[in-house]
Amino acid sequence: MGLIRNSISRLRKDDPRLLRIPPYLSALCILGGIVWILLLPLNEYSRQTYISENALLPGQVHTYFGGSEQNVFRAYRQELATVLGPASTSSGNVTISKKEERDWENKRSVKIQELFRNAGLKTASQHYSYTSSGETYEGVNVYAVLHAPRGDGTEAIVLLAPLKNIDNDLNTNGVPLLISLARYFKRWSLWSKDIIFLVTPDSFAGPQAWIDAYHSTHDPRTVEDLSLKSGALQAAVCIDYPFEHRFETLHIAYDGINGALPNLDLFNTAVTIASGQMGIGTSIQFQHTYTDRDSQSSYPSRLQTLVRGMASQALGQATGPHSSFMTYHIDAITLTAIGQGWQDEMAFGRTIESICRSLNNLLEKLHQSFFFYLLMQSNRFVSIGTYLPSAMVIAAAYTIMAIYLWVLSGYRVKEKPIVAVKGKAEQSGREKEGDADEQTRPAFEYSPKVEFSPLDRRLVLPITLLAAIHLASLIPLYLLTSLTLKAIPSTFFLLASFTVVLPIILASALPEMPNNTTLPAVAAPTNEQYVLIKSLSLLLLGLFLTVLATLNFSLSMFLGIVCIPLAFVDRNPGGGRASILQYLLLLIFSPTGLAAGLAAYGFFSIGRNDVLVDWLQKLAFGWDVWWSWGVPVGVLCIWLPAWIVGATLVATSWFTVGSTQENPRAVKKLSTSRVR
Amino acid sequence: MSRSLFLLFAVALFALSAFASDYFERLTLTPLPLGSLLASFDFRANETITEYEAQNYRYFPRSLGQALKHADTKELHLRFTTGRWDPETWGARPWNGTKEGGTGVELWAWIEATSEDEAVEKWATLTQSLSGLFCASLNFIDSTRTTKPALSFQPLGAYGDDGQHLHLLHGVLPGEVVCTENLTPFIKLLPCKGKAGISSLLDGHKVFDASWQSMAIDVRPKCTPGVEECQMEISETIDVVLDIERSKRPRDNPIPRPVPVEQLVCDETKPYHSQDTCYPRDMVDETPWSLKEVFGRTMAGACPLAESEGPEAKSVCLNVPHERMVLIGVSGFEVKTDPGQPESRCYQLMPFEEFDIELPQQTVGTKAELGHELLRAERTITGHGAARGGMRTIFTNPSPTEPVRFVYFESLPWFMRPFVHTLKAQVTRTEFPFDWQIMNDMYYRPAIDRNRGTQLELVMSVPPASTVMLTYDFEKAILRYTEYPPDANRGFNVAPAVIRILEATNEDGQSNDVYIRTTSLLLPLPTPDFSMPYNVIILTSTVMALAFGSIYNLMVRRFVGADEVGDTKVRGLVRKVRGAIVSLKDKFRGKREKVE
Repeated sequence: MGLIRNSISRLRKDDPRLLRIPPYLSALCILGGIVWILLLPLNEYSRQTYISENALLPGQVHTYFGGSEQNVFRAYRQELATVLGPASTSSGNVTISKKEERDWENKRSVKIQELFRNAGLKTASQHYSYTSSGETYEGVNVYAVLHAPRGDGTEAIVLLAPLKNIDNDLNTNGVPLLISLARYFKRWSLWSKDIIFLVTPDSFAGPQAWIDAYHSTHDPRTVEDLSLKSGALQAAVCIDYPFEHRFETLHIAYDGINGALPNLDLFNTAVTIASGQMGIGTSIQFQHTYTDRDSQSSYPSRLQTLVRGMASQALGQATGPHSSFMTYHIDAITLTAIGQGWQDEMAFGRTIESICRSLNNLLEKLHQSFFFYLLMQSNRFVSIGTYLPSAMVIAAAYTIMAIYLWVLSGYRVKEKPIVAVKGKAEQSGREKEGDADEQTRPAFEYSPKVEFSPLDRRLVLPITLLAAIHLASLIPLYLLTSLTLKAIPSTFFLLASFTVVLPIILASALPEMPNNTTLPAVAAPTNEQYVLIKSLSLLLLGLFLTVLATLNFSLSMFLGIVCIPLAFVDRNPGGGRASILQYLLLLIFSPTGLAAGLAAYGFFSIGRNDVLVDWLQKLAFGWDVWWSWGVPVGVLCIWLPAWIVGATLVATSWFTVGSTQENPRAVKKLSTSRVR
Repeated sequence: MSRSLFLLFAVALFALSAFASDYFERLTLTPLPLGSLLASFDFRANETITEYEAQNYRYFPRSLGQALKHADTKELHLRFTTGRWDPETWGARPWNGTKEGGTGVELWAWIEATSEDEAVEKWATLTQSLSGLFCASLNFIDSTRTTKPALSFQPLGAYGDDGQHLHLLHGVLPGEVVCTENLTPFIKLLPCKGKAGISSLLDGHKVFDASWQSMAIDVRPKCTPGVEECQMEISETIDVVLDIERSKRPRDNPIPRPVPVEQLVCDETKPYHSQDTCYPRDMVDETPWSLKEVFGRTMAGACPLAESEGPEAKSVCLNVPHERMVLIGVSGFEVKTDPGQPESRCYQLMPFEEFDIELPQQTVGTKAELGHELLRAERTITGHGAARGGMRTIFTNPSPTEPVRFVYFESLPWFMRPFVHTLKAQVTRTEFPFDWQIMNDMYYRPAIDRNRGTQLELVMSVPPASTVMLTYDFEKAILRYTEYPPDANRGFNVAPAVIRILEATNEDGQSNDVYIRTTSLLLPLPTPDFSMPYNVIILTSTVMALAFGSIYNLMVRRFVGADEVGDTKVRGLVRKVRGAIVSLKDKFRGKREKVE
């Protein structure tokens, strides 16, 4: 204890060398955070998945779906084909009138209900219509409830097949498969939970409307009430089989809205059953598009899967019809048939049957296994304890810088005449605890070349400025989420160009503020106040990122990385090349820069010039319908304000030529700009 | 030798039963749409009050009688139910819903006691002994699950002046799983004990493979005009809705495999019909079945203790139209109802002779009238999250002309705290153009934490052809760590609501109210993670907090010599005061020491 006390008290001796450490420490933190993520795909840092909930017993039952059920399945497919109408042209090239579309919609819902009813189930339908960006998304959900013969109706499982999957392909085999499963399940008496069979017209709005109405959190003006309900939903499995030929592997989508994930047990159950019991390969995060099955466990492909998973989590958009369920803490996955192979629809059906049997065993809601994980292969994962430190460390980098700047802003640093020995004696005289060992050391080692004189921090202006900027960030948030599709491009262009010049405007305005004596708080900021502004802005950034890391790890991680320049840019009064370079760097790492990059990628790589608008529309839809707040809030309310403050500080370099005094130089010597 | 002895014994019993005619049993079979079959078993036995008081039991089961006497219970109603009655397909409920409970176990009784506390004490005795008797967790009906409904239940027994000392107590166990171990003690209470009579059909495998099933025991004192002495009546009923197709599966091959392709019944009118494509045809014919197929065994003749003559002797009835073909064995004697009455037929059986009914496949034009439901009720929990929730009950009155008046009774666990100010009933859909007062009366008893639950009784009425929505919000309490059950993550059961539809009473003063119960609900409560990592996190966090505290303390505290600290005004004052106190204390102590 004594040793600790000694070293601590030594540290406390306001050693100016200490002040050199934080920027390096901060840079180290960021580097550490990134390296940490890069290490995760290694075998030493990730784990093999396992089933945590013993009750699931995946793959322990015989499955019987098949045989004559296939004949029935084919008949259902024929039946459905008669009502698909223009929906069968999935590209949507054929323009049909609204009324015609509605007629087909109704015909479809009537037919699906009839099929369910003939299978002996209770059915109901639900109309919904959402409006986002001036576009209307409407349709009819059809669902049937299979009452568990011996159950009390307190729990239910959902099986869902959208008519169109997330890529807007027609789910030609999925829907008939769902109905044949309904007919087949009806004959079993072992169900302990009700099973709800749901057919939604699309994969993004329909499931959301249904699940909202199921929990009565919907807006009854746009989304109809459900006339038929069951108990608490335990899990949902979505069937996506968008072609008629046989398939090769199953792709499992698991990301939910706002980066929520289903319990790992559900995912593991699906993987175990598909690969272990049925012999069907599984893939995640579109692995089939960039690796072959044999190289899935190589480092590069694991890393790519990991990063793709994180990107999809950070975006917080739906990746399938299952995504909407996650908002209500209902574990859900989508199984998509991909490739050309020899597995037929009955194999898919048996997989679903086995998953349902496993879920049917559950006594409690899925809770045993992880809810926070990153998958890098369908049977390898890292849990939150392993990956969370990386985002936290990155967020801490900003907090460290903030504390450092806070300390700096409290002192005026003066160059000291080299009468070090005396100064040292005076200094140590103030603190009598310094032990003898220290006294005997040569004085010049410890004598600082600078001297600190404490200074009152004037916080009114920095806080006002930061509050104003953060509040102002709500304006683009509101505009981008509520404008119509026509107005979005122009508004976005205006906003983007305004954000580019706003820091310069602010920077030019700040030193011009009246130096009046009646309201000294809003006078032109001093150098210390500039430091304070940056300190507080970084403090907020660090705080937001830490909180965000617990809500949506990936988003926090990505924001933390794109904000790196903000921690290290600084004013260099007198302008010059350095500040121009800094400003350019900031422009590249800015929300506007990101948008420009996205547009350029779309234009040059894909050859479409509406990628950006597409994305904006998607984000607005997410905001309006899914309550997916991650990216809009993260970019517009966390990143953008911090960026504007950082850019403003850099831009002030050009407007404060006259006020160069002795102290900023001194601060410079000690501080960050060198680190860069 | 033994056979003749047995015969002798049987003859003796026969004589007894003929003398008393106090035992009655009947099985009513009603085919329901979509291949279901409702089997209603009804057993009734009487004992005169004097015999009952003297513990001279003949048909009344001794074990139950003694338990009731011990707890001073005058009237008892016990229900074991699983599954849900489906009124849309199956029509009106058997016995107007009076012989069924909510899912799980439901118990209510009138107990004679001089005070409330005494009644509660006797109630505890009663639940404990019934728990042992019926192999159910009835002993878990504690004060938090016990309510005292004021409007929902009326005593069915005949009481004279001593009625005012009776206390009604009601308890529900919604999560209790009813199974074979509850059926066995039930059968044991019967005089023929499953060896003869209709009770010989009760096979646990079939009864508990049913789509809906309810077992009821009602004990009440009964005074029939004309009969001199009042009697204690015990009525036991078992109602089962069997899925005929499922019940007919052989026990050694119960798996519903897909039928072979050649047995698949296809709709051949479909244009795409071919060798490998088959649209399954709906069930149009009446499914064939026989007692042996459906129950897994034949009936072992009539129970010799039941009446052998008169209208009460027909122990099996079948509610099918006369045109339906029914084949019976030689041991039965068929009586069809007269024209004008609802068509059905009953069978009088012989003792010791096996009996079976067989209904072959047949296309029948007339459908049997099933009755209709008076009110449809659906109760669900709305909202999500761990803090708040809402309850929503939707009442639909399907009748185009008649309003429905009913008592809605809800008992909520204490950890579900309703906000009564949010209680709202509104008409959401109606074809009835006038103003309507939905809520007429309300009886509310708030919960006490860990002591008793909320009890809410509403007298409501729904106008014709309308839907009424009753909503309120509630808050979820956080339980103590030890109060969570082992399966905490399942959620907590909320008992079904009981709806008593008030009808005009009969001439004989008996009310013929209809009872409906909603499904039970699952309430997710905020649940801590009981797993190992959670405990590790808590422990490490504690250690970290301790370490952080002391290190932080060392870092920020300024260490100075005591003599260096100058006195501020306040500190000076404090020091002076403290000095004064110390000197005062010293003085005091000094004095005391001197005294000693």
